[in-house]
Amino acid sequence: MISLDTFLFILASGVLLGGLYALMATGLAIVWTTLGVFNFAHGTFVALGAYIAWQVTQSVNGGMGFLLAAALSVIMMYGIGYLLHFVLIKPFERNANLVLLAVITTLAAASIIENHILIGWGPRDKQIVPPVSGAISAFGASINIYDIVVLAVALFSLLAMALFLRRTSIGRAMRAAAQNREVAELMGLNVSRLYAMTIGLSAATAALAGVFAGSLRFINPTFGTDPLMKALIIVILGGVARFTSPIYAAFIVGIAESVSVYFLGLYWAPAVLFAMMITVLLIKPEGLFGHRSRTL
Amino acid sequence: MTETPLLELRGLGGGYPPISVFRNIDLSVGMHESVGFFGPNGHGKTTLLKTVAGLIDPWEGDIIFAGNRLNAEGRMRARTSKNLNYDLFRKRRIRAETVVNAGLIYVMQGNLLFPEMTVEEVLDIAPLAAKGRTGITAMRQRVDDLFPRLQERRGSKIRYLSGGERQMVSIAVGLLALPQMLILDEPTLGLSPKLRIELAQAIRKIRDSRVPLIIVDQNIEFLTGLVDRLFLFDHGSITREIDSGSMPKHAEIMTMMFGEAN
Ligand SMILES: Nc1ncnc2c1ncn2[C@@H]1O[C@H](COP(=O)(O)OP(=O)(O)O)[C@@H](O)[C@H]1O
Ligand SMILES: [Mg+2]
Repeated sequence: MISLDTFLFILASGVLLGGLYALMATGLAIVWTTLGVFNFAHGTFVALGAYIAWQVTQSVNGGMGFLLAAALSVIMMYGIGYLLHFVLIKPFERNANLVLLAVITTLAAASIIENHILIGWGPRDKQIVPPVSGAISAFGASINIYDIVVLAVALFSLLAMALFLRRTSIGRAMRAAAQNREVAELMGLNVSRLYAMTIGLSAATAALAGVFAGSLRFINPTFGTDPLMKALIIVILGGVARFTSPIYAAFIVGIAESVSVYFLGLYWAPAVLFAMMITVLLIKPEGLFGHRSRTL
Repeated sequence: MTETPLLELRGLGGGYPPISVFRNIDLSVGMHESVGFFGPNGHGKTTLLKTVAGLIDPWEGDIIFAGNRLNAEGRMRARTSKNLNYDLFRKRRIRAETVVNAGLIYVMQGNLLFPEMTVEEVLDIAPLAAKGRTGITAMRQRVDDLFPRLQERRGSKIRYLSGGERQMVSIAVGLLALPQMLILDEPTLGLSPKLRIELAQAIRKIRDSRVPLIIVDQNIEFLTGLVDRLFLFDHGSITREIDSGSMPKHAEIMTMMFGEAN
């Protein structure tokens, strides 16, 4: 048996991972449900977001620097995501093989972004300095204050995004374009722009996840590989029937990962997660929290 | 003096490349008139209307609405290369946004709308097309009067509505765009007789409020009561035009279209 504080430690790190993964996976999921394509460049959005933030913290120090870095990274990645729609997806949208072509174009984008990070920032590890330090102790376990901040901001951002999609006209228009493109066009909505905004929003959440992840561990040019893999597992595991499906799945994956890291070791964790994913695919292919329809 | 037509189609042809679905459509609909389309399933009525609505590119001919051409000039270029991303160089020849902004509103057949949105959310974004124009508040009121049933279902997701209710939402969405002309594609498809009557009454009220209509339907009695002129549509062409004075019965139409054997 493990002691209570060890249990709490595992749980806390799992929940923190879950919050980060929820940000990463939700961004991937909204593009999948809206455009019907899988964005293999999503992981590099996380990495690029982290590097942009790191660059800003090099010129502006301290807590203000971190806030500025996070804000700039999120805004710039929104713009980059928005523009990439017109390069990676739009030119092929009338092609019957759009889904396959998007696999190729987004993989290509991932490779190009990753290599440009390598050229621009070099191969050496970097880290964003967290703006707050210190820990609190509860039941004998000590929990970093920064971890709590990260979790709170991640959840708050997801809530804000959900409210944006449900309550504002633009958000509703984005959902409309996701659910029925033709009728959205017949309403006079500019579907291309709504799609671009969706990718922008997805890239912005990826950037936020990147800023947080980059302040918890080291950044390097392949920093995006792990987030992409985790987001993929989560989206498949949870399904995309609702906005919240990948969020629940993210916490399951986060906790499962920290449990298997503790008991089986770092190298076995991916195997456990993939085993979970394959099991779900075999038994309930539409995901744990899903029915067949794609929605946003 | 003849009045200028509101909608005019000149030698319009189109389809799903490489399959031509309709051709040589010449048609003009006046400012204050409603017309009907009647014809067998699968003969291209929906394809024609989707083209007019800007969802599909026309191959040739022009779509003129209120004096403005909505499509790009000329014919669609034939595909010359199998390898290049041909779509990259081929511009769309018509855009739904242009058509909607001109005030020509198409209500699609078998309308599934947005399955996961509530009636209220859909009706909220419907006037986005007409934003900035006056009359939206009045139109909301009219829609509430026309379809009181939708009031009760405000909070329901579209996917839980009956076919008739969904059709009402579709028409309401069309009206909230403040149409100069409204195109209804098989509005009574698959509805119970009771709902069909309810919907027919609503459509008649819309027509009486001087919104010109183009209606496609399989029910000839339903059509003849609503429209001023009727076009018979057969194998992608308009084969006959009938004035309101001489509206035929269902059986007569069948004879006209399919010969005595029917
Ligand atoms: N998306 C599509 N792609 C290819 N062919 C289609 C498509 N939609 C309809 N068709 C074909 O176009 C023809 C005309 O269909 P449609 O316009 O729906 O006829 P109608 O509305 O008169 O019943 C049919 O033969 C149909 O199979
Ligand atoms: Mg049809």
